[in-house]
Amino acid sequence: MAMSAIAVATLAMITIAVVAAAQAAPAAANEPAAHNEVLIKNAMVMTATHGNIANGSVYIKDGKIAAVGKDVSAPASATVIDAGGKYLTPGIIDSHSHIALDSDVNEATNPITPHMMMIDAFDYQDKEIYHGLAGGVTTSLLLHGSANMIGGQAVVIKHKYGANRDAMLFPGAPRSIKFASGENPKRVYGGKDQLPSTRMGNFEVQREALVQAQDYMREWDAYDAKVKSGDKDATAPKHDLKLEALADVLRGKLLVQIHCYRSDEMLTEIAMAKEFGYKLRAFHHALEAYKVADQLAAAGVGIATFSDWWGYKQEAWDAIPWNAVLAMRKGVHVAIKSDSEDFARRLNQEAAKTMRYGGATEEEALKMITLNAAWIIGVEDRVGSIDVGKDADLVIWDGYPLSSYGVPNRVFIDGDVYFDRSLPGFGMPHYKEGM
Amino acid sequence: MRETCAVGRCAVRLVSVALLLCVVAVAQQKPVVLRGGKLLTVSHGTIENGVLVIENGKIVAVGAASSVHIPKDARVIDVSGMTVYPGLIDSETQLGLTEISGEEMTNDFIEPSEEIMPHMHVYDAFHAESEVIPVTRYNGITNAIVAPGSRDTLPGQDSFVQLAGKSAEEMLLVRDVAMPLNFSGEQRRNQGPFDRRKFPSTRMGLAAQLRQAFLDAQDYAQHWADYDRKKADYEKTKNDAPKPEDKNKEKDKKQPPSPPKRDLKLEALLPYLQGKKLVVLAADESNDLQTAVGLAHEFNLKFVLNHVSHAQSVLDYVASLKVPVIVGPIYEDPKPYERFDAVYSLPAELTKRGVKIAFASFDAHNSRNLPYQAGFATAFGLPYDDALKAITLNAAEIWGVADKLGSLDVGKTANVVVANGDPLDMKTDVKQVFIAGQEIPMTSRQTRLRDQYSGQ
Repeated sequence: MAMSAIAVATLAMITIAVVAAAQAAPAAANEPAAHNEVLIKNAMVMTATHGNIANGSVYIKDGKIAAVGKDVSAPASATVIDAGGKYLTPGIIDSHSHIALDSDVNEATNPITPHMMMIDAFDYQDKEIYHGLAGGVTTSLLLHGSANMIGGQAVVIKHKYGANRDAMLFPGAPRSIKFASGENPKRVYGGKDQLPSTRMGNFEVQREALVQAQDYMREWDAYDAKVKSGDKDATAPKHDLKLEALADVLRGKLLVQIHCYRSDEMLTEIAMAKEFGYKLRAFHHALEAYKVADQLAAAGVGIATFSDWWGYKQEAWDAIPWNAVLAMRKGVHVAIKSDSEDFARRLNQEAAKTMRYGGATEEEALKMITLNAAWIIGVEDRVGSIDVGKDADLVIWDGYPLSSYGVPNRVFIDGDVYFDRSLPGFGMPHYKEGM
Repeated sequence: MRETCAVGRCAVRLVSVALLLCVVAVAQQKPVVLRGGKLLTVSHGTIENGVLVIENGKIVAVGAASSVHIPKDARVIDVSGMTVYPGLIDSETQLGLTEISGEEMTNDFIEPSEEIMPHMHVYDAFHAESEVIPVTRYNGITNAIVAPGSRDTLPGQDSFVQLAGKSAEEMLLVRDVAMPLNFSGEQRRNQGPFDRRKFPSTRMGLAAQLRQAFLDAQDYAQHWADYDRKKADYEKTKNDAPKPEDKNKEKDKKQPPSPPKRDLKLEALLPYLQGKKLVVLAADESNDLQTAVGLAHEFNLKFVLNHVSHAQSVLDYVASLKVPVIVGPIYEDPKPYERFDAVYSLPAELTKRGVKIAFASFDAHNSRNLPYQAGFATAFGLPYDDALKAITLNAAEIWGVADKLGSLDVGKTANVVVANGDPLDMKTDVKQVFIAGQEIPMTSRQTRLRDQYSGQ
């Protein structure tokens, strides 16, 4: 299908759109062999945290980065990979994705569905995971769509295409929940003649749900207190998955990720979080963040945004390509995300645009698709930079990654090569079609 | 729209815009010289430390600094360290047909009520004041094909536009420059349950309907030809003396023939059936491509190909057709059976086979990213010069405007871009765009919002 303006308009609704699934033929897991020690040498190492190291080396042991620097010693048994002077970056992290979910992006039958678990829809055989991998993406946050004010709980994956499902889940990643606001819930429920059909309705529905969750927590707290005090006749309240999930929001157990375009709505969400005592992790899309960057910085809320996507709907009309850098300069954590199976394949190019629009430095641009994105997901201590102790999720690039010309040559996840451009076929050593 | 700038600041800005316009007006009268830049001529290589002279909207001199005479009264702009190249041409956009694509009332993409709509002309909808246009030319895109949407097999006719001008009139350089014929399956009316579907809901239907439309147009042309012949006969013989045997038949006296009823739809197809104008034949996969080409051959259409994104298995066949290809977009997702770079490498594979290619954004808001697509294709084997050509001279040649556009050559329209580096890399900042020799203000709704909120 041609990428006509109409197609783009449809894409614009992407978080509520059906994500077309590229179904792979059934592929059995082909687990990588036990980790060998690997030494990548002669690379231009872009660490994302402490500058570039020319002729640098990275020593990988047990899937982790064990040493980084100009002079790195590794045991003779380590497999040596000569990067031939090519650039080496951390694996790219996509902090807003809907790939590999078949059509199950939105449970758009009720505006409040916090108990929907994206892992239940995760299709680990979807070739979209491979397409991202070939673009250097090693970790993605798969989010519920934005049809609902409170959608569901995300799953964090590593792009180990060819491995089995559980091997692709990011171990120990914190739980994230997707909220939304603005046009999408209005349109979805307004279109059915239901509440909400306005921004008033949107926020009322959200507030109502949070009040119910407070009541639910109170009932359980009272019950727990009775039990604690030895009351043998205490009756437990009914378990309610939906309210349980919201109670976890109020308890601060979930990272709250909010689909939000307009600056006024960002301020309302910040106020509501304050009112109910939970914390926001990030606004997603956040195309008007530049208008309220001081307030976002003060509230400690990050943004996961596009570099230059705009004009696809009314609430994207004030989008400007300087948004990311203007917000960053005010102290906001800024990530560039894909929200699209297409952009997921070239996030490096999207990040490079911030160097032109606003003058991000090379390291700042790189951080927007690595460390800052990891922060949005809450895995910044695990991935997102080339530092000792982090997962060995790395990309060797043909060409300069922050340009039109950067293409992943090899992609490592947990120290294993999952993509190698020089290989024939799909270029994946751990995957064979039809396995 | 929520522009809430302080009154004072707006006033200041208006004054500065007015001043700028004065500068433009004055500059127009004098020759403008771009001195010291690296000139990417596209037609005759790169000139380091070059000079380009613009006068009366045209390029009047191009060459090495040592060889070009600088007119005495010229305004000389030092562009040393800059790269100078021809304005970029996007070979398919919806510029001027949309403002906010999710807001239907701002869209004029396509008439979906019927498939055969060759009498739709995008120039009737082209919105010269669209805010999307300044955003696009800010990145050095100066010309574009504006095409209707692709959900009809024959959605209407394209125009070739210039992205600056006093009015739509001035910006529409070539009206009805070409006609898209879309055959990708997307045009089938096959949504919803069976009882809701309309003809044509299959590819058989699409092809049959197209064939009938062309036959109808041929018949229509024949009716007019017959009429013209009869009319000529009539004109020739109406004053002749009646033959003796007709003498008493007053009522059988010669009457002028009555013309056929005009049919705008069929009339619109005639220049294409006569091979006078270009059909843009769109298909993605090899089966559709061959069906569409078969139809085009059947009716002797002159055509270029569009997309061919998933036709990798028949690229030699594509080359054998000896027609240009508007490629991609190369960002089209690969099919599950394809390697990740199957579409990325298409421009290189076609060029290798001697096919002339051009890039297109197939978009309005993202047209500004056109050059990066060309750059990305070089990472998959497309030679750099071919990539640049595919957004300049090749496009100008395909659309029949190479005498005016597409390269830095004497006599061509001065659509010229000055940037601080490689035009195909997204890090490059475009510093100044000239369209028909006019220095275009480097502002847009987006720069105004930026300035407003960043305190500039």
